[in-house]
Amino acid sequence: MTRPYVPWLLLGLALALAAVYLFPLYWMYVTSLKSGSEIFANPPTFWPMAPDPSVYPAVWTRRTMGTFLWNSVVIASGVTAITVILGTGCAYVLARYRSAWIDFGLFLILMLQVLPASVMITPLFVGFNQMGLLNYPRTAVVLAAAAKSMPFFVVLVRATFMSVPRELEEAALVDGNSRVGAFFSIVLPLARNGILVCAILTFMSSFGEYIYSKSIIQDTALQPASVGLSGFLGPNSTDWNSIMAYSAIYVTPILAVFVLLQRRIVSGLTSGALK
Amino acid sequence: MSRFLGSLRDGIGFDLILVGAAMLFLLALAGLPLVYNVLMSFQQVDMFTLGSLLRPFAGFANYVAVVAQPEFWLVTKNTLIFVFASMAGQFVIGFALAIFFAQNFPGASTIRGLFLVSWVMPGLVVGAIWSWILAGDFGVFNAILKSLGLIQATVFWKSDPNFALWSVVIANIWLGLAFNMLLLSVGLAAIPRDLYEAAELDGANAFQRFWTITLPMMRSTIGAVLSLGLIGTLQQFDLFPALTEGGPANTSTVAGYWAWQMSFQLYDFAKGATISVMMFVLVLFASVVYVRSTRHEVRG
Repeated sequence: MTRPYVPWLLLGLALALAAVYLFPLYWMYVTSLKSGSEIFANPPTFWPMAPDPSVYPAVWTRRTMGTFLWNSVVIASGVTAITVILGTGCAYVLARYRSAWIDFGLFLILMLQVLPASVMITPLFVGFNQMGLLNYPRTAVVLAAAAKSMPFFVVLVRATFMSVPRELEEAALVDGNSRVGAFFSIVLPLARNGILVCAILTFMSSFGEYIYSKSIIQDTALQPASVGLSGFLGPNSTDWNSIMAYSAIYVTPILAVFVLLQRRIVSGLTSGALK
Repeated sequence: MSRFLGSLRDGIGFDLILVGAAMLFLLALAGLPLVYNVLMSFQQVDMFTLGSLLRPFAGFANYVAVVAQPEFWLVTKNTLIFVFASMAGQFVIGFALAIFFAQNFPGASTIRGLFLVSWVMPGLVVGAIWSWILAGDFGVFNAILKSLGLIQATVFWKSDPNFALWSVVIANIWLGLAFNMLLLSVGLAAIPRDLYEAAELDGANAFQRFWTITLPMMRSTIGAVLSLGLIGTLQQFDLFPALTEGGPANTSTVAGYWAWQMSFQLYDFAKGATISVMMFVLVLFASVVYVRSTRHEVRG
């Protein structure tokens, strides 16, 4: 059954599938390098006739992308910090015990994330307004988005903790460690990779946060890159090479980090995690 | 007092603090808004009473009004089509890819990893890219379909009422496919190899092995994937403003986007809240399935 050339055929097929799947990304980069008139060529050219990257600096300055991206970084860092600090301990406890209460807690955490962000905004907006948080709109967005990303983080990290052998922790307790000591010196280091991977994923997903920012942040100088992008999207947009250049500048850092860490992310998620 | 402090370091208090901090945070920022939404769906709300909790009680008037909206059944139909078509596409293609990449060939895990880039991309950017690919006159999708001979006339994916919803479905399948594939890959990897070898010795063909080993062994994974998929699809928002804005004439509006339009474009907050509560009931069902599916998991 297994002939020597079969693996290479499969490899070829895999590369072809990946090429089809990643075509939208390729198309984003190619479009951004095309001239304004070549974009509307019919049939479209699959390789730009005269690749011209000059749209990149133009979009960067005209769209004040430096500010937008900085705000995205600030918001994503805040979301990640809150999610990791609060979520890790919660995931650990949910992984350690097995009872109706734990099931209930897990259920509650899941239920708390299931309302679409688009309908959570009204209550959050009213609440933040009452607390005066709307004067610090980025903080408000960080809090709202952290509540959104935490349940998923807890579910993933819980799976990581479940793959940490219980015996190691019990041995540490027998050796005279306190629960706190065992948690910080044994369990956390063993689960470190899984937590790190989930933290990176949280950062990446909140880097693209859109709906809360759009509704809460009015000041352009504080808006993240997603809101900046929506500013020139619409049914009648024609400036496609600028839009694609903007998108490329926005996602290339995430994609680069992802491709660099891809192996670790995938193995972190697949080794015992995600059951 | 010292017993209390001791339990914080060494007993149940430690656990309670860890869970409690996260729970309090979630209850404040997700639980309260949920309750507020339910409350609001039973009240008369206008711009002036938006900030106050005590408002005239409306009973089921908001629910009746939402169902009586002329677009209600259209949106319901769209939501069902959007959810089932997206989930079916993501699951079937994701499963096929997961099985394919579970084969033993060089570079399998690296190439599979590349598929995951769609997962970490901002939804709005994915929407922008697909908006350009699916553009009517100059979109590359039409050009490819024409050169393959699949269509003769130009399809206006985003502005034709028959296709607008499907343009969002296509983008959403692309966006969610990788996550489905990853979860299913993990499930596949957990099935012991010798089961397949034994079945092969007994003369089971590939289809029989899939049907009698793979599917039953992956029951809990499949349950988790489908329920997470339902939740994720109902929450999808970013693609709509980037692709169709719900148009033309609401033919691509789904419940989540409709609720947002009610609240933030028409300022009818009570109806927006009512729609969201209706959605919530649906998602409740998915979460029960998910939690039940985690019961079968193997404990490490």
